[in-house]
Amino acid sequence: MHQNKGHKLTIGLVLSTVPKYSETFFRNKIKGLQANGFEVILFVDYATAHDDDFLCDCVVAPNFGKSKLTSISYSIASLFKSLFKHPKRSYKLFKLDKQDGLSFNKCFRNLIVNEFLLTRDLDWLHFGFGMLSVNRENIAKAIGAKMAVSFRGFDLYLSPLKHQACYKYLFQKAVKYHVLSNEMKTDLTAYHISEKQIEVIPPAIDVNVFQTDKKQSINDNVIQLVTVARLHWKKGLEYTLEALQLLKEKGVKFHYTIIGDGSEYERLIFAAYQLGLKDHVTFKGKLPQIEVKHCLEQSDIYLQYSIQEGFCNAVLEAQAMGLMTIVSNAEGLSENVLDGQTGWVVPKRQPRVLAEKIEAVIQMNQNEKQAIRTFAISRVREEFNLKKQNTAFVKFYED
Amino acid sequence: MKNRLKIAVYSGDIPSTTFIERLIEGLSGSPHDIYIFGFVKRRVSYPSNVSVFGYKNIRIYKAITLLKYSLLLKLFKSKDKAKLDKILKNKSKNLLLEKLKSYPVLWHKPDVFHIQWAKGLSEWIWLKEFGVKIVLSLRGAHINYSPIADEQLAAMYREHFPKVDGFHAVSEAIAQEAEKYGADSHKIKVVYSGLDITSNTKETRLKNDVFHIISVGRPHWKKGYTYALDMCDILKEQGLKFKYTIIGGAGDIELAYQIKDLDLSAQVTLLGNLPFSKVEAQMKASDLLVLPSVEEGIANVVLEAMALQTLVLTTDCGGMGEVIADGENGFIVPIRQTKLLAEKVIEAASLTSEAYKNLTDQALKTVKARHNEAQMVTNMLKLYEQI
Repeated sequence: MHQNKGHKLTIGLVLSTVPKYSETFFRNKIKGLQANGFEVILFVDYATAHDDDFLCDCVVAPNFGKSKLTSISYSIASLFKSLFKHPKRSYKLFKLDKQDGLSFNKCFRNLIVNEFLLTRDLDWLHFGFGMLSVNRENIAKAIGAKMAVSFRGFDLYLSPLKHQACYKYLFQKAVKYHVLSNEMKTDLTAYHISEKQIEVIPPAIDVNVFQTDKKQSINDNVIQLVTVARLHWKKGLEYTLEALQLLKEKGVKFHYTIIGDGSEYERLIFAAYQLGLKDHVTFKGKLPQIEVKHCLEQSDIYLQYSIQEGFCNAVLEAQAMGLMTIVSNAEGLSENVLDGQTGWVVPKRQPRVLAEKIEAVIQMNQNEKQAIRTFAISRVREEFNLKKQNTAFVKFYED
Repeated sequence: MKNRLKIAVYSGDIPSTTFIERLIEGLSGSPHDIYIFGFVKRRVSYPSNVSVFGYKNIRIYKAITLLKYSLLLKLFKSKDKAKLDKILKNKSKNLLLEKLKSYPVLWHKPDVFHIQWAKGLSEWIWLKEFGVKIVLSLRGAHINYSPIADEQLAAMYREHFPKVDGFHAVSEAIAQEAEKYGADSHKIKVVYSGLDITSNTKETRLKNDVFHIISVGRPHWKKGYTYALDMCDILKEQGLKFKYTIIGGAGDIELAYQIKDLDLSAQVTLLGNLPFSKVEAQMKASDLLVLPSVEEGIANVVLEAMALQTLVLTTDCGGMGEVIADGENGFIVPIRQTKLLAEKVIEAASLTSEAYKNLTDQALKTVKARHNEAQMVTNMLKLYEQI
């Protein structure tokens, strides 16, 4: 381990694929670390078309799943490399897995599929999502690096429901955790993780992109409502549509735009149809950042009535754009929006309460709205900018 | 029309879903010849007047089947083959697969070709060129919401529905929905699905201290289980002692998270798929079957519960209102109304044994009168014979 001062720290970041151009979080993080003198190496499970011109060095796992033949040949190659290129690390990994009580076959399998993670000298091995660390709990120790794991929401709250006890081994290890909100920190401590091991670094947005000169005011005739979200059940869009049906019944004139695509399109458009909202809702699909910004500029109220949410960048962007923002109380959202100060937080799964809040916000006077808007913009600019996040990550690794 | 017809029942898969297999079994008792085409998932033994002309998903098997029918058509119906080849060439993306599916049908040329799933209609519309009558079933999602989400599908329906010779609608509601896409109301016959009703029913309401509620079905969003779980939240708040079981709901993260979120793990159980006999036993042991769906044709599970004399609470989606009359043979509430669902459960839980029995007796009468298997088969045959 290289700990002497002045040494350039090397961070190995483990992701599923190389972040696309639109996946700003990891790109920004990598750029920020590089600017602060860190070396970053990216380890990914799957190769994609745009990997070549990526910001940093990438190590791609062999594609074992292609066919039986490739699976066997890659396995032999991995085993060969394990034995002859880094025998000490391989032995250590095998031994540590064995100490955890894994079967011989499992230890052997872990060694073969994770061989590519043993190839570099690192100070930190950081898994970008909780699930990426499963079956890899001993790799950092085997290569003499410290281990870090980021939890982003889905992986902390939903993955364990599908994969029972998936973090059983992880939570026994000396790991530094990164979470997005204090709520997530509290929930993580419920797994007997010491608070000292957990660092809260909220997401950040490019406040230079998401800013506007336009003095926002609620449209007089038709209120423009907007949500930017994947069409996934956890985003609570069905509840949102039910709230809008209640608004419609009350005679409020509005139009709702949903930006994003996903597997639940059929469910949502059918809900809109059944609720009599088909002409009041537009599904825009996924849009590039600049068009998202343009859409936010045209809108009055931003809704994020999620069922489960780690923190949510889109809500930060909406606040930065001066929209009246109404969110649910799902996990990190009540830290993202300060209720009554930068927007409003309403209990989840209660469309009636959401409808009442939207109506109340519409009826607020301009001064009250302006106060909310001003505070929301300044808070996002100060607290959730990229620079601040970069500094926090530098501290995360240096501490 | 001839007295003895060649009737093809096409769903794509052999065997097909329970209710389509039930239809085939029922039709096998008729004087007509029944043909089944499509992909053979596993061997099924059918009565002697049911002929299977399928292909297995093994390359060599498919090649032999294709070769056999290519030769037969080339030798004995070469004009027909040339005509079909031309049609397929113009529209097909995977010509060999299309031929594999189509050649056996052209060779055996049934009098009536009954398509079970509307989305597949455009693949078979060529049959009209060869004098084959097309019957199309109007079932569930294919009519109720897929064309709302998919403009191209809606356009296909509008183009081809007017060419269909007869429609089999599983409910009045779905018949009306299909008319929006150009189905001629005179050509639609509503044939309710039928059950083989045994007298294996329970006598009176179970005397459970805890009110047992059950739902049965895969965890698809259209089943509306999220509404049922929100309903449970209200029931718990109101102090009702209850248990809720969803058979088929296991492994669904959305439901698992909702149960955790609403702290309902003591009340709610998600079970995996069970064999029908076990489902039946669970239904009989329950006080109430809830169907919280947002979309259905007519849910078979409701008919089954009625036949077993388990009280039913359903949402008024699709054709459910044609089966359940509120307070007469069960309970029915509007879709997507959690609070109303909860109110009805509380009403059901407070029924006297006598009132409970009255409702379930009526329910049994309803299914006996309108959802027996013999009636379904007779009506389907009438549809085939009329066109």
